[in-house]
Amino acid sequence: MQNNKLKPEMNQLRPILGDVVSTLESKAPYGAAVLTSRETVKYLVDNNQERVIVGDPTAGVILTAFDGQTLREKAIGGFDKNDLIQGTKDLLRDSSFVKNGKVDPGLERKHDYQTTMENDPAQVPTNEKLEFLREMNQRVNKIDSRIVNARVSYVEFREKTIFRNRAADISQDVQRVHMSIMVTVKGNKGVVFDWTSKCGTAGLEILTFTDEELETVVKNAIKLLEADRIEPGEYTVVTAPGVSGVICHESFGHGVETDMFLKERAKAANYIDRRVGSDLVNIYDDPGFPGAFGSYFFDDEGVSAASTQIVKNGIFERGLTDLYSATALGIPRSPNGRRQDFSRKVYPRMSNTFFGSGDTPLEELIGRVENGIYLPKISSGMEDPKGWGIQVSCHYGFEIRGGKMTDKMFASIGLTGYVPDVLASVSAVSSDFDLVGGYCGKGTKEVVPVTDGGPHLLMKVRLG
Amino acid sequence: MLEKIEQSLKSNPEIKAWNVRHVITRGSQQYDLAKTTEAIREVSSEHYTIDVLCDSLDTEGKPSSGVGTVTVLPGGEINQTLDQAVLTAKLVHNEPYDFPEPSSLPDVELADHDYLKDPPGSIEKVLISLKEQTASYPHVRLAAAECFGQEKITHLVSSKGINAQQNTTEMYLQWVYLAGEGEGEVETFTEIYQRRIADFNLEEKAARRAKYTSGLLLAEGPPSQIGPVLVQGGTLASMVAGEVLSGSLIQTLSAGEMKYSGETPWEIGKSIFRGDVKGDSFNIWANRQLPYGMHSNAFDAEGIPAQRIALIQENKLEAYISDQRFSSYLDIPATGEFGNIELKPGKISTEELTREPHIEIAEFSWFNPNPVTGDFACEIRLGYVVDGKGRKPFKGGLLLGNLLDALADVTWSSETGFYSNYLGPSAARFNNLQIAG
Repeated sequence: MQNNKLKPEMNQLRPILGDVVSTLESKAPYGAAVLTSRETVKYLVDNNQERVIVGDPTAGVILTAFDGQTLREKAIGGFDKNDLIQGTKDLLRDSSFVKNGKVDPGLERKHDYQTTMENDPAQVPTNEKLEFLREMNQRVNKIDSRIVNARVSYVEFREKTIFRNRAADISQDVQRVHMSIMVTVKGNKGVVFDWTSKCGTAGLEILTFTDEELETVVKNAIKLLEADRIEPGEYTVVTAPGVSGVICHESFGHGVETDMFLKERAKAANYIDRRVGSDLVNIYDDPGFPGAFGSYFFDDEGVSAASTQIVKNGIFERGLTDLYSATALGIPRSPNGRRQDFSRKVYPRMSNTFFGSGDTPLEELIGRVENGIYLPKISSGMEDPKGWGIQVSCHYGFEIRGGKMTDKMFASIGLTGYVPDVLASVSAVSSDFDLVGGYCGKGTKEVVPVTDGGPHLLMKVRLG
Repeated sequence: MLEKIEQSLKSNPEIKAWNVRHVITRGSQQYDLAKTTEAIREVSSEHYTIDVLCDSLDTEGKPSSGVGTVTVLPGGEINQTLDQAVLTAKLVHNEPYDFPEPSSLPDVELADHDYLKDPPGSIEKVLISLKEQTASYPHVRLAAAECFGQEKITHLVSSKGINAQQNTTEMYLQWVYLAGEGEGEVETFTEIYQRRIADFNLEEKAARRAKYTSGLLLAEGPPSQIGPVLVQGGTLASMVAGEVLSGSLIQTLSAGEMKYSGETPWEIGKSIFRGDVKGDSFNIWANRQLPYGMHSNAFDAEGIPAQRIALIQENKLEAYISDQRFSSYLDIPATGEFGNIELKPGKISTEELTREPHIEIAEFSWFNPNPVTGDFACEIRLGYVVDGKGRKPFKGGLLLGNLLDALADVTWSSETGFYSNYLGPSAARFNNLQIAG
């Protein structure tokens, strides 16, 4: 077994985790022990300040005992051997378990995984990172005198995990990086902003911005000063990959997280093997997508990353599971059991969720629109798994007229609709593909890194 | 451990100022489905967060100050970690400033002492009580519920002489109501953050949510109109004060940091609105002293005492909300963190507000205005057309407008309510908003 860059205190505890699991399984049908450390450092340089902000540490041990009916967990901060042993005793002492419960521990595995990086942030000194952000800030400010502020932020997330149950002894060291550039400009009508960002499970090598990319974000921020409001109504739209992605995230992402099935919150539970979109609609979730911001090697319950096809040619195939929901529903597991950090429970969660690409060149797809709107920039989205309503906020959109993009900008734009109607209206899918990274919560909590994406889509929706 | 950290900090001549926050948390969580308990969890953690302030010369040779922050777990290595903090602090260049001096701390009620007597038992009782309340509404079913409780003890020590401790509790409750059957089945999803279990106010909340759930069952398509829109309770609180965890427009535009960077149009002594105020005058306090407010505390992360700041009075900005650094740059008093929003009530009862025909919005999918401009286009999850003949529920459609313009033409109720991070009128009639059906 080749070791990765785990914390020494985690490696010290690793040899006793097998005994801990055996002790848990002396009373419970299933036991697992997880050591997890999640560290976040944010660097910020703008026109007026510099900051290096270290996030609160979330590092600790999670002990799980499960009898097929109720999960019992004890989460203890830090990596103290005595705390681990005492915690195991306390968990068993305070819990009662249904006997003869059966829980599948998964395949036997032993492996250590690590994000492939050319430029590991941990090896780059703080001053070099700050200098890189300062240079980026200066590059942006030189573009236009109307810029009030150019906020350049870079966040690095390091997740180190050891997972142990009776079948698996695996670890992963996942490095995520995220850089965003937010440009604020001031005009007669007030203050507006636009941004661009890059992120992934990777090293610093992915955080490069061309002059054209920086000029575009400044140009669009300035255009926002004169943007019009869109007349509410139904429109033919072309969604860029980020907007396409949020549509699938909010429709057949949240709504197929199978804890929603157990809670009877998901209309999709009644639509397995039924049509939910046009033939052109294919939706996937894949935590193994190379380099994507929502990627990992195994989920927080030890299931190895693999692609799950959620919708195939418009037909809903299956949902995303964690250990509890798969056990309770009697369906296969998928690698989607994720927790925000050691202090939180696992839920079935998305990772990298996207529409599959089609075969229409983007130019041809836009050429089909006589009068419509191009939606290039996502702000946020909200799910409605029971009602199948959808709300997606777009920072702005551009008019398409006569099959050509125009410079006429509308902002801000709210996209709404009834999910089956929206997906049924998809009439062309472009051949390109991109993923946009971000953060996803369940309700207002349980935040995890994800990406959404896919190709450009041609569809009909309601805008306001 | 704290003493060792203090000694190391005191013995380092490169450090201009420092503070240490020793944080201990203990939590209980229970997750219920309709007929079974899905999970029971206990969580504990302890750590020390250390901020060090160092002076250095910036890249142009000018004096500057910078902060380096590190965290240490109990038993962790101290000196090497502090060296990293000092290194970072000396690389970060900002205009010189200093950490806050000690001052007297107010006594703010922050902890639920009943919960602390038996945390897991208290959580279980909340879920049992929710089931009992739900039983009063046979048309709805409780499909799932989660309840968390967390105790947090924060001991802050600083080189300036601050030595203070606060004990807080945070409670979280969510539940799902279902009504109807088959394709027509509907749900409502409720989340509440409070510092005390008693403030969940389960009897009132369960009744309101049960009513909304049955409203959804009967809901038709949305109207299209421009006119008065009534919003009440937690929905109104989230419109004015923003999401409990993230805040909104008022917090952003009143920030000293935004003033310093030139990104807020708000000026002291001037109206925050873009045009004439047609409705009630707007009077807001940024209140960290609100008893059991979710954003209340005795002191913030820097040790700045809780205050009740008159933020906007008679529509005019009275203060910026600022930490120690930006207050020294702007030469204004340091207020510390924003805290909760306290809004002056109106003079008209809710009954009077609702007398004329109007649209009532019971729930948005998500009210998320642009954090700088205030523009919004938010989907309506449940609303009512109230036209003198009755109250007809609808769902879907968009509420369109600008939050600042909406607040400039509103009539507030005289009755007040407390919702996590908001104390103020429990109802408001926005006199001229557009609904796009």
